[in-house]
Parts: sequence; structure tokens; C-alpha cells
Amino acid sequence: MSLPKQIYAELEQIVGAEYISDREYILAGLRHAMPSSPVKPLSPAAVLLPGTAEEVQQIVRVCNRHGLKFIPTVSSLIGFAYPTALNTIILQLKRMNRIVEINRTDRYAVIEPGVRHGQLRTELMKAGLSYPVAAVGPGGSVLVNFACSSGDNHNQHGASRTNRYILGVEWVLPSGEMVRLGSLANDAGWFCADGPGPSLRGLVKGYAGPFGGFGVITRIAIGLDEWRGPAELPTEGRSPDYKLRLSPDRHKVFIFKFPTLDRLRDAMIEIGKAEIGQAVLKYFNATAALLATQSANDFWELWESGLFQRELSRPLYVYLATHSAEETAYEEAVLREIVAETGGEEVDPAIRAIYENNMDFFILVGFLQRVLRLGGAWAPAKLSADSVHHMFEIGKAIPEFLEEFAAKRLIVDAPDNFQIISMEYGHLAHIELLFLWDRSMPAWGEIPMQVMARSHETEIRHGHHGSMPPRSMPMLGTLGPLYSNCHIWSEKIREAFGTGR
Amino acid sequence: MLPLKDLRHTMESCNHCGQCKWVLGPKTKGYDYAEICPIHQRFGFDAYSGQGLLNIAEEILDGELEYESGLVDLIYSCTTCGACDINCKSVRDMEVLETILALRARVVADGWGPMPAHQEAAGAVAAHHNIYGRAHEQRFDWLAPEVKLTKNCTTAYFAGCSAAYRYPQIAQDTAKILNAGGLEFTVLHAEEYCCGGPLWRTGQIAEARKVAEHNLAVLEKQGIDRVITSCAECFGAFRDFYPRLGPVNFRVMHITEVVQQLIAEQRLTLHHREDRKVTYHDPCLLGRLSEPYVPWNGEIQAFGRHEPPKQWRRGAQGVYDAPREVLQAIPGVEIVEMVRNEENSYCCGGGGGVAEAFPDFSQWTARERCREAGSTGAAAMVSCCPFCQSALEQALGAADGGMKYLDITRLIAEALG
Amino acid sequence: MLAPDVCSAVGEELSRAVGAENISDDAAQLQSCSFDYSVVTGTCPDFIAYPHNKAEVREIVRIANEHHVALVPVSSGPPRFHGDTLPSRGGIVVDFSRMRRILKLDAVSRCAMIEPGVTYGDLVPALEREGMRLNAPLAPRANKSVLTSCLEREATLIPKYQYDYMDPLLTVEVIYGSGEEFRTGSASGPGSPETLKADKVNPWGPGAIDYYRLLSAAQGSMGIVTWAVVRTEVLPTVRKLYFIPLENPQQMCAPLDALLRKRVVDECLALDNTNLATLLAEDPSRDFAALKAALPPWTVLACVAGYQRRPAERVAIQEKYLTDICRDLGLRAQTTLPGAGGLEEEVLRLVSGPWNKEPYWKLRRSDRCHEIFFLAPLSKAGYFVELMRELVAQSRCPELDYGAYVQPLVQGRGAHCSFLLPCDSASESEAEAVRGLFLSASQALAKKGAFFSRPYGPWADLAYRDYSDGAAMLKTLKQIFDPNGILNPGKLCF
Repeated sequence: MSLPKQIYAELEQIVGAEYISDREYILAGLRHAMPSSPVKPLSPAAVLLPGTAEEVQQIVRVCNRHGLKFIPTVSSLIGFAYPTALNTIILQLKRMNRIVEINRTDRYAVIEPGVRHGQLRTELMKAGLSYPVAAVGPGGSVLVNFACSSGDNHNQHGASRTNRYILGVEWVLPSGEMVRLGSLANDAGWFCADGPGPSLRGLVKGYAGPFGGFGVITRIAIGLDEWRGPAELPTEGRSPDYKLRLSPDRHKVFIFKFPTLDRLRDAMIEIGKAEIGQAVLKYFNATAALLATQSANDFWELWESGLFQRELSRPLYVYLATHSAEETAYEEAVLREIVAETGGEEVDPAIRAIYENNMDFFILVGFLQRVLRLGGAWAPAKLSADSVHHMFEIGKAIPEFLEEFAAKRLIVDAPDNFQIISMEYGHLAHIELLFLWDRSMPAWGEIPMQVMARSHETEIRHGHHGSMPPRSMPMLGTLGPLYSNCHIWSEKIREAFGTGR
Repeated sequence: MLPLKDLRHTMESCNHCGQCKWVLGPKTKGYDYAEICPIHQRFGFDAYSGQGLLNIAEEILDGELEYESGLVDLIYSCTTCGACDINCKSVRDMEVLETILALRARVVADGWGPMPAHQEAAGAVAAHHNIYGRAHEQRFDWLAPEVKLTKNCTTAYFAGCSAAYRYPQIAQDTAKILNAGGLEFTVLHAEEYCCGGPLWRTGQIAEARKVAEHNLAVLEKQGIDRVITSCAECFGAFRDFYPRLGPVNFRVMHITEVVQQLIAEQRLTLHHREDRKVTYHDPCLLGRLSEPYVPWNGEIQAFGRHEPPKQWRRGAQGVYDAPREVLQAIPGVEIVEMVRNEENSYCCGGGGGVAEAFPDFSQWTARERCREAGSTGAAAMVSCCPFCQSALEQALGAADGGMKYLDITRLIAEALG
Repeated sequence: MLAPDVCSAVGEELSRAVGAENISDDAAQLQSCSFDYSVVTGTCPDFIAYPHNKAEVREIVRIANEHHVALVPVSSGPPRFHGDTLPSRGGIVVDFSRMRRILKLDAVSRCAMIEPGVTYGDLVPALEREGMRLNAPLAPRANKSVLTSCLEREATLIPKYQYDYMDPLLTVEVIYGSGEEFRTGSASGPGSPETLKADKVNPWGPGAIDYYRLLSAAQGSMGIVTWAVVRTEVLPTVRKLYFIPLENPQQMCAPLDALLRKRVVDECLALDNTNLATLLAEDPSRDFAALKAALPPWTVLACVAGYQRRPAERVAIQEKYLTDICRDLGLRAQTTLPGAGGLEEEVLRLVSGPWNKEPYWKLRRSDRCHEIFFLAPLSKAGYFVELMRELVAQSRCPELDYGAYVQPLVQGRGAHCSFLLPCDSASESEAEAVRGLFLSASQALAKKGAFFSRPYGPWADLAYRDYSDGAAMLKTLKQIFDPNGILNPGKLCF
């Protein structure tokens, strides 16, 4: 449904005719959500490409005046980027794509929403700086990833989740007012997210972000770490068979397999306590097979060989990134000591070679989208964090609810396709279970709902904190009371500030 | 030619991941030059991208989207450079460019396409066998008397419309190089028609087929087993389009591959030195889109299984090394690479019928490419496609930044002394 | 003061809630709650209540809501410095000294679950027994509440363990001003704290809101926290303290930044000779001047450590980085304290646990003090130190021997800058001059970009005067969590 002419004219006045459209063929590019969703999203009423925060403010005010809903997006990879109500306009923030500042001394970068991981991460390398890139592909928006969505990443053992790195925030509220958070509030620069007083940063993002459902973040600063690699990625080869090796003196990858999850867990905890390693994770095995192959057929050939089930059902990936060969040797010695104590063994060298030859797995994760390659569908059933110990308890309980789906051949038989990533030297960890189902099955759209429901039942039965946040409003209504009535508080806040969508 | 309905798997598989718009991560070198899709970079809306065109194609296929002139403009603003396709295929089993080409064919079949300029080109090809509407008898005006042709030779140099009419120097240099290397060849003379590539890529399949079938028949009749081109567009058409029409009984080589071979065999020596720093622009149809078409008629089963297995063309086997090795063999030439090179090369703006239908946007794209070339510090941009030359030369001329465009055959010819 | 009838009703209800023996209306005790070492003017509360558990806290909040009586949560023992615990309009001081249980020490998941009355004096040795330690502030007083310190985002000594300004706080259980109970992060659920198996170490959420941040630096004005889980660290088995003498404060940024980029050091801070001498003098009245004179103008203290595995090797590698970095900068890292050799062990003790002597170190040189502290990028710390020197020089007390302390935070991306202004109450004019300096310097520093992220007392005006949109948002939140405004009214922008 198109916008009334007068409203369109008001919006056009703000962004210019070139950057607004309600033509059906333009909107067609914004109403085909994930193949994993059985529901085709509603069409937006219009799409706008604002160029500045001031334009965003004006648009939001027009929306408020006329009762329009708005969804800010950049790459629109996730389902939350799509309208669920009529009279919704999409603000694609791609034109707001400036790296406003890279501050080498104070180690932060100020960015607008349109800056992508591929751009910022590689630009920062030139300055010897880095940040943990969440596994969303190089075209993912850095700002969205940090401030609006999730933010787990392979390197969060030596670094952390992206939410930790948010500094100053510039935010257009659902009312259209602009508020600046942290040190920015008092014109003290971008370096701090919290304050003055109670930290309004808490409204920007919790475990996950609001996914564009709470005003529009127009600029953030993110904290930066030192980059321990070269100024430019030493990529060799051509698509899709890139090689990316970093100096073995300072960058080393190990993959060990363990007889039990408990042993693997103990190794992860000990590595954390020793404060070694940049990335430490139990990675998905089916996903690993997808990333290691170039086509669905290649995947099936590999998967049916059983190699990845045999070698990677309980793997521990460790990536060491240090400042010197001596430090690498030290970390390797400690690592091997721990692995020996906990009963780990090296996996097939061919598997380790995959990661040695392409360390992008620990940099930009440029191959991530291969997980989508089966052309079927996928979803995460678990998505939460707590201690390493607790995450493994959750992992151990996965077969309780997943096996029935595999037995009925509703999903790919991959009960070990979950990851547990150590965070902040093992102070906590994140879990994610990916299950893959097939869109050619009858009633395929119900499969993810059933898996998630059974997953929740298992968590409630065991007292496992395995799915935060509940991922939809109906679920939130049902499960919120079990989560400290968080749905009531979030609703109160939404009511008080509005949401925009 | 795959009809649109056979590409539904691709349309339904798109997750909006954005890889069709961005250089793949490990190949990215910084903030600038990270975008890969000209229409997306220029117009911004998602509809202007590989992903958007898949979405549009699906809605047209399902009868959910009505034609209007803006939609047709959008579809024809794509340069069909295939950057989306190769980047997508780096991570997915999808046929993005096939879908875009099938969409264009569908638009033509539905009576909404192509653009008037493309119809004009098709009319010119029908009347004069070349896209410019020039007299067919002038097609071999470039052929100087000193060029040595070999009768009954099984190697043919296919000059193509552009070199024949617009850039005869390329054809002359190519002939000179072949003669210098002692490689026997012939030309098709009056039997050389447009390769059909520009018609195919604008959805005019019947018209394209007609000239292609003519060329195929001539090549067959003359017993040609090797075709040499100096034009990436022709090269791409022979590699990708002709096999769709039936068995192709000849090899296609680009002049740079021939020179590479001649140098390796020490049949050609490039000795004249001229110091210059150049950057090489990979034409899409010589690079990422030049892998031979391999027909696949199978079934896509659950979880993406292709039965029988499909041989994917992911762009890795394009002609990337030959032009670089040849340039390196020229004394005094230093190559500085652009960020977006090889399979990630950024479009020149000259392909897909865009230069004819949307010259302003074509030049916008060419300027973006020239901006990148300028950032390397090179004095010249070298390539080997007359369509690229047309777009890039115009942009460089307008920019007046001092950078020159050179076809690679000119450098080789000069280096022969 | 409450009206007599309200006072009486409240007293009765409080007695029922916590037991008569656990409330006080003793005038002297009430009086002691009305002042501290800050410039804030307080009022006398009507009661002090000493709850023992969450149920009692909830009942106190109910009573306060019913009678519209202010509640002022107090967790630490005196001396207090910020005015945050001074009632602005009487009411009930909720004293948590009876909620002093360490509920859990977990060496595997490296955390401690504590009630608000648990002090550094309680927790640090308890952790040590379990092979753990806490990233704590510099020499906190032994009776300081750990929970409050964390909740108030106090600066801590080990920047590498700080990923953002909220560390080391993880999750909390809170009774909001509305009387409703809530748990943050992975403490939220599913189910009750008893059935939940999570270790409650994920601070974020639940959902899209970081509720714990909304409680931070709130001076108890949003909710009353009844327990918290805080992050702990492995206790080093080998530690080596290095001293980097500096001639001027502008030199401090480079070594600190280089060390923290590489995450070489554990404890890491810079003190001027006034503060260091204050901390180290055996008897300040006797030793301070000489010690100060002997110390370099500034000293960076940097501790390298090894943990449970190959500690000596780790220390050797870190030492090499440390010495290389200093050498490259033309500085010298040494294991003896320049100018005061022999006190190294004492310095190590200072950065390892609470201050156990009397008086508290900030009061060693005078019976009162004012402290100006704020956040800045580490690169600007030197600038602010210089600016403060100029401000003091231009003030009515130009000879004031104030101490300066720079604490790098959040892996070196920020710094806590502190200026300790001694103030002898025996001289009213001096006290007035120092007080004036405190106020005017705060303003001047803020104007130049000092970020008063924890705006106690008069700093609230600095923070919110030109931040009306943020203040409006905070008021909206306050309305949600504490609709009757009973929690510590008059603080911040409330």
C-alpha cells in the first residue's frame, strides 16, 4: 500500500526525490525475508535512504505525526528488518556510511550505520587496530552488529562480545529527539558509554539489541583492540578458494578432540584461567563442514563420509595470536599441558590445515554465508550466555529434544551442531545451536517453532539459561514470567519511550 | 537458455546476506573500493542489486509485480557484470547472473523490453551484422595489406564489431602480434557477424541466436578449431553463450593467452622498453565470466543437493594471469593492482547494454573505476576489451587527470619494436 | 522529618518488618547519618532500619511506598565522601550491615555472590582462600561495601579485566522502588534463583535492555540491590611490581597505553608523589614530607603476574615487554621504588587489598578532604593533571598539597582521574577555600571535557544542566522503577 501523496511529499522534501520510493518494484527488494521463514513479510509503504541524522529526526517526526511506523535497517539480513504491520516505512541507512573518526591514540572509531565490517576491519588494520567481528559476513553493518543485534564472535575469548565495545552513542529516539549517551552527553568525547549517572546505554542494547525497534542509532563509537596481524590481509588465490595465512610465529591454530563434553569443558575453563588464546571455542561440526566445502554436494559428500562427525563432535578450536614467537611458544606449551591433562587429542591434520590455510575464520569470517548453502533453512534454537560450565550443561541436554526431530528426518542429523564460545578468558561463554531443515517438507514452517518449543521446555525443566532473549513477542508473553517478568519491564519502557515500529 | 521458472531455487534461496553487493571479506583492503555492484552503489535501494533483481524476478514469475517503465529501466540499468554472481557463488549455490539474464529474456518475451537502444542494435545486427549499423562491407577495413593471413588455416581471429568499426587499432595490433609470433591464422572476412553477445545480454535471445548460429556454422564449415579474440565481449559470448546453442567444436583463446603461450615458447620477444606504471582492469567477460558454460539439466533435491552434480562456474578459472604475465614480460612495465581486481573487478560501465541505454549511469560507473585506477598511482589503465575502452576512455577524458587508457595489444605491439 | 502520626505508623510497621531491635531512632545515630565528608548538606533520617534478608527489604519498600517515606540505602561503613547516602528529606536509612553474607564463591566460574553489606575486608581474604581475587579500587576502606562500589562503577586497579565501565559487576537481584523484584542478566531465569542452574555471570539483558546499567551510578535511586554476582580473577602465584618514575604527568600516557594495548600488566596506575607518600608514610605527620620529597613527581606502578600454569615463564615474557616498551620510550622500569627503596612490599600490599589502618588513607594528612574525580581518555589524563595544577595555583589556596591519581580503565581506553584535596577543619578559612576550589575546579575541568560520570552532589548540576534530554529520559525511567519517588530523593536529576 502506497503512502498518501501528502505524506510522501513531506518525506520527499526531507531526503530528496532520489532517496525515496514507494514504487512496487523498488519495494520488491525489501519484502523477501529469510528463506527460513514461512511467512512472507508485509510490503513496506515506502523506503527512504536518509543521509544524515537530522534527516532521520525529521522523518521520525513525520512518522509520528501521521501514525506511520518505521524500521531502520542497513543490510536487512535478519527477519527483524521487515515490516510486520501496515503503514511501515523502511529507513535504509546505507548512505550514512562515514567513518567519522579513527582515533589511534584513544583506540576508538566513530562510525555511522552504513559502514560495513569488511570496510572498517580492514581500514583499521592499517592503523594496527582491530575489533571483534561478529559472524555476519563482511557486508554486515558494524553499528547494527554492535548496537542493534547480537554480537557474538569467534574471538570473544581474548576479546568480548561486541556490546562490550560500545562507547559514545548518538540516538534518535522514537519521539524524534536526539540524545547523546555517555561521555558524549557532556561534550567530553566519545570514549565512554555509561553515564552521567544511571547508564542510559542500558536502553540501547541488552544481551541482544532492539533490532531496529527502538528509535534509530545514528552514530556510535566502538572501542578498539590492538591488531596483531599485518596492515593488509595477505589473501592469496581466487574465489571461492582463498587462502589467508598469517605469520606462524604469532598466529597458530589448533583443533583438539575430546572424549566427553565434560573434558572439553574442563579444558576450556583451564585455558581461560591461564589467560592464553585469542579464540577458544567448541565449534559447530555441520557448519564447519559447510564452511569447508564449496557446494551443497561437496558438503553432503563430506558429511556422509562421517569425518566431521568423528573428528569434530567435541572439538576445541584454539587460535593463538600473540606479540612474539616466545609468547606463542609459551601459550602453546600451556595449551598442550592443559589438553594433555584433560584427555584431548589433535584432530585429523587435514582438518587443522583448513583453518591454518584460511585464518579468515578468526578475522572477518568471510565464508559465513556458506551455512546458508543448503538452500533449505536454518535457525538458532539456543542463544544465550553464562558460565562455561553452564553452557556445557545446556549442550549436554540438547539430544534430549533434538533427537526426535532427527529421527523423524525433519532436520539434518547433527546433534553436535552447536557452538560454545569462551568469552573474556572463560569468564563466560555463549551457546548457539543451529539446526537445519528442509523447505520441501510439508508444513516445514512449523519445524523451527516445534524445535524451539521443545528446547524451551528442556531449559525450563533443567533450569538452564539457554535462550535469552525469548525471540518473539508471543514467546516473550509466555516465557517472560519465567524470566523475572522481563516482558513487563520491557513493555513499560516501550510504552514510555515508544518504539517506532 | 534457462527460462526464469527454472531458476526459482536461486530466487527462493536468497537470504539478503548482501554478499552480492560487497567484495568478499578477505579481498577487502579498506573502507574505499569495498562495494562491488555499480547499480547498488549508485542508486542505493536494495532493488538495485543482484538480490533485488532476484526478488523482482520472483515477483514477476509469480505474477505479483506489474510491469512499468521504471521497472524495465531498473532491470536494464544492470551492467550484467556478474560481480554479484561471483561473490554470491563464493558462499552460495545460486545462479544470480543467470537469473538476471533470464529476467531480461522474460521482459523481452513479455513485450516490455529491451530498451529502444537495444532494439536499435538488434535491428542493426539484423540489417548489417554489426551492432553499430555500419556497412557490413566495411567490417574488414582494418585489415591492412601487410597482415599475413594463412589460407585454410584452422585458427581464426575473430575481430568483433567493436574492434572492426570503432577500434581498428586493436585488430591491427592483434594481427601484427600474431604475425610476429609466427602464428598462422585466418579471418572470416564477410562471414564474420556480430558475436551476438550484446543481444544475448539484453534479453534478445532469438536475435542473438540467429547471428551466433551463423558464426557457428561458418566456423564449422571452415574447419576452424581455434578462435582468437581481442575483445572480452566476444570472448565471453563464445565461452558462455555459444555452448548453450549446441556443441562447440573449437577452442576460444584471448589474444593475451596466445601471447602468453608465444612468449613461453620463445616465439615472441618483447624487447622495446618503455618505463611506465600501469594498472590492469579485468574485463568481466574475460575474467570472472569467462569460464566455459557447462549445461546442467538436473534436479535440486532436498538440502540443496544437485542431482546429477553440477559443475559450478565460480569465476576462479577466468583469464586473469595471462594479461598480467604478458604485461610483466614487457620491458619497463610495472603493474600496480587496483583493490577490486581479478574476480572482484569493478565494472567499467560499458556492458550489458547500459552504455547505450543509460549513458550517464554508464559514465558514473566508469568514473568510479577510473577513480580507483587513479588511486594506484598508475599512469595508464590497461585492459583488453573495446567496450571497456569506450567507457573508460570517455571517463578518463572527462576527468582530465592525465591517466591514459591503453589496450593491451597496443603495449604488446609497441614492445615488438 | 515525618509528621508524628506517620512517623509512629512507620516505626510500628518497620518494627514488624525487621524486628524492633533492628530499627533505630536514636538521635545520635540518626544525626550521624546526616553528614559526611562531602559538600552535600543532608538531613536527619527518621529511622535507620537494618534488614536481614530480601523479604525484609521488600517490606521496607512497601512501607515506604505506603507512607511516601524516603528510603536511603547505605551499605558501607564510614567515612563517606560523596553525599550520596545523606537523606535529603529525612525518611528511612536502610543499613545493610546485617546483610553481609557471602552467598557463593565459585573458583571454576570465577565469581562471587554477595549481599550488599559484604565489605572488601570480608571478601578479599575469603577470595584469597579460594585462590581468587577481585579487581578492586585502590586501597578501599575495609568497611566499604563491595556491591556498592561495583554498582557505583568505581574505578578499579586492573584495566585488562575491564571490558566496559560496569566491570566487575555481573548480575543483581533488585527490589525496585515500586516494590517489584527483578533479576538481571542470566540471573533472570528461567524460574526462581533456587531452580535456576545458571551461574548468573552473564550481565546482559534479559532481552534487549541492560537493566543492570540502569541501576548503576544511581546512588540507590532506582532500586535496592539485595545481592550481586561479581566477577573474580585467578589469584596470581607470582607477582612482580615495577615502578616507572616520571618527571611530569604528560609522560604517563605513552607507557600506560603501550602496556595496556598489549595487555602486559595487571595492576597498573599512576600516582603523584603526594598521594604515594600519603599512602606509604608510616606516620604521615612525621614521614610524609621527606617521603614526598624523595619520590619522583609521578610514579607508574605496574604489576606483572603469573597464574597457575608456568607462572615464571609468563612473568618473564611480560617483563620483557614491559622493559622493552619503557626502553623504547626512554623510560626505565625498575623493581625498586625510586626514592623510597624498601617499601616495595608495602606498595604491593596497597594494591592487593583494602586499607586496614585508621584513619582511612584519604584522611591521613587532614581531618577532612574533598575529592574531585572524573573520567577522561587516557591520552588526556596528563592534560587534566596540568590543568588542575593551574586551577589550584589560581585558587585561594595555591599552596594546597593535593594528591593526584590516574587510574587507566577499560583496557586503557579511558582513565579515572582523581585529585584529593586535603582540608583541615581547624581552619575555617582554609576549609572554605578548599571547598571553593573543589567547586570551581570541578566546573572548570568539566568545561574542558572532564566527564563526571558519577555525578555526586554538586556535580549533578554539571552533568545534567545541559543534558535536559538525557535527564528527561532518566526521569522517565525513575517513574517506571520508582513511581512514588521514594528511593533516595534529591539525588542526580531526581
